[in-house]
Amino acid sequence: MDRQRRAGFLFVLPALLFFGSVFLLPLAQSIAYSFYRIAPGGASQFVGLRLYEKVLTDSTFWIAIRNTVQLLLMSVPTTVICALTIALGLNRIVSLRWRNVWAAMYFLPFSTSLVAAALIWQWMYDPVYGFLNYLLSFFHVPPQKWLQSLNQVRPAIAFVNVWLRIGFDTMIFLAGLQAIPGEYYEAAGIDGASGWQRLRYLTLPLLNPQILMVCILELIFNFKIFDQVYATTQGGPASASQTVIMLLYDTAFKYFRFGDASVMAVFVFLTLLVVTLLQWRIFRKPVEY
Amino acid sequence: MADLPETRRVLTRERTVRARATALSQRSVYFRWLGVLLVACGALTVFFPFFWMAVTSLKTAPEIQRVPLQISPDHWLNMSNYQEVFKREPFVRYLLNSAIVATVAAVSSLVVSSLAGYGFAKFRFPGREVFFFGIIGILMVPFQSVVVPLYMWVNRLGLLDTYLGIVAPDLVSVFGVFLMRQAIEMVPNDYIDAARIDGCGEFTIFWKVILPSVKPAMATLLIIKFMWSWNEFFWPLVVINSPRMRVVTIGLMSFTNMYFIEYNLLTAAAVISVLPILLIFLTLQRWVVQAVVMSGLKG
Repeated sequence: MDRQRRAGFLFVLPALLFFGSVFLLPLAQSIAYSFYRIAPGGASQFVGLRLYEKVLTDSTFWIAIRNTVQLLLMSVPTTVICALTIALGLNRIVSLRWRNVWAAMYFLPFSTSLVAAALIWQWMYDPVYGFLNYLLSFFHVPPQKWLQSLNQVRPAIAFVNVWLRIGFDTMIFLAGLQAIPGEYYEAAGIDGASGWQRLRYLTLPLLNPQILMVCILELIFNFKIFDQVYATTQGGPASASQTVIMLLYDTAFKYFRFGDASVMAVFVFLTLLVVTLLQWRIFRKPVEY
Repeated sequence: MADLPETRRVLTRERTVRARATALSQRSVYFRWLGVLLVACGALTVFFPFFWMAVTSLKTAPEIQRVPLQISPDHWLNMSNYQEVFKREPFVRYLLNSAIVATVAAVSSLVVSSLAGYGFAKFRFPGREVFFFGIIGILMVPFQSVVVPLYMWVNRLGLLDTYLGIVAPDLVSVFGVFLMRQAIEMVPNDYIDAARIDGCGEFTIFWKVILPSVKPAMATLLIIKFMWSWNEFFWPLVVINSPRMRVVTIGLMSFTNMYFIEYNLLTAAAVISVLPILLIFLTLQRWVVQAVVMSGLKG
């Protein structure tokens, strides 16, 4: 028995060592660094909350927060609603082969790198030769500046995120829909429930766990947006698309202000921690079929 | 019939209910086709950027600047952009780097995750629950929150600009441990007990009994991890300095700059960078979807 206990521990040991050294220790260090001013020579000095005060009173930080929040407010609801609609549509397609074909197309963006996706879209958004302005010309809409416009850059990037994530969410919804027992719909049919009633009183409540989960996953994904912005606008024009992680990256690896970056790292960690804990609280509620 | 009012009443009600049902099903047929149409249009819209990328990569520079815009390229077999991409940048090297990094990440993740999955699923030892939920808890730590100390470690250990440095944080993923534990839990304990009675050691059981019965989960993990590592951008951007160590996602960036981008080359490079993953995805779609649903369930 003792031998077996040791064997079990040895089996999990490599994973424990990895996660301990690559996540836990650095996380502790991140928190520690946020209280120190680190000089280039390596000497560091404890400064208490001075770095927090500095970062949290800096307007560039709040601009980044505002942009990030605006982005996710635009893209999260859009993604979830579109994905839900598509999943409902896909679920109604009887032919399994066709359903898989359409599903694969929605899913395609998920398999590409965020950088490649963002660059393709930058080309689509090109103000002069881009496809979108060409499309608009049919409706006699003058060419738009998209990523180069102060007002359009955030919606434009939010749309790329919708495009990237729609397939992932659709898959999760589709799996959820297929787990709902068919008898429920038969029963609803006997009661003479209309399509809308079935959706409102049967499908949506039973899909609730998936909807909540997808919302939170999207929140996290959009909050951490980096690749798409770095590859296209680099936060521009005039910080109009500067996001939190972009700012963190610039602070750490462009200006090498590791202390300030650590404050942001702690901020990001705490924000997402709250979101995830919220998720766990919500998911403890069991759903019964 | 005249003196059977109740029967008549029931019959009439029956008839109206039937009529309503037929009307409903008629309407639902229309709805079904409307639904299919919407789904198909949406799918084509989502697919369009890929088509546009491929088409642009076949056009010459003057072609993409033509007004009014022309959808199809002059020559569908124009490969000059692809040749130019390989001439300007060591793109073969980038592809090779990505392949090395993604393969190492996938294999090491598979090894460590299945070991840990077996340990968590089939053994009782003190701290098992704490360790498992501790690992799941790592999901709450965004990579960006640990990147600065990790960079300092990698720098101190002299691993900047090395394969080991690039792949280090990718060697194991929480998702893998979770997936393998779920799969191994399903293996009947009788198999393990039988092997024990036959005198097999724990590692032999793992190798000869456990692994062969969780092949689907292993395949899923390999594929999804390869995809994730291939598409990784943030960490490579931090640790890679020299051009010869660039992975594909970083190499793609060398075709962009703030002022002027040759989109015919950029799209060709994008096609090259995306193609391997697209092929893997399209041939092994079933596994990927399974992984996504699993990762979704995991939260």
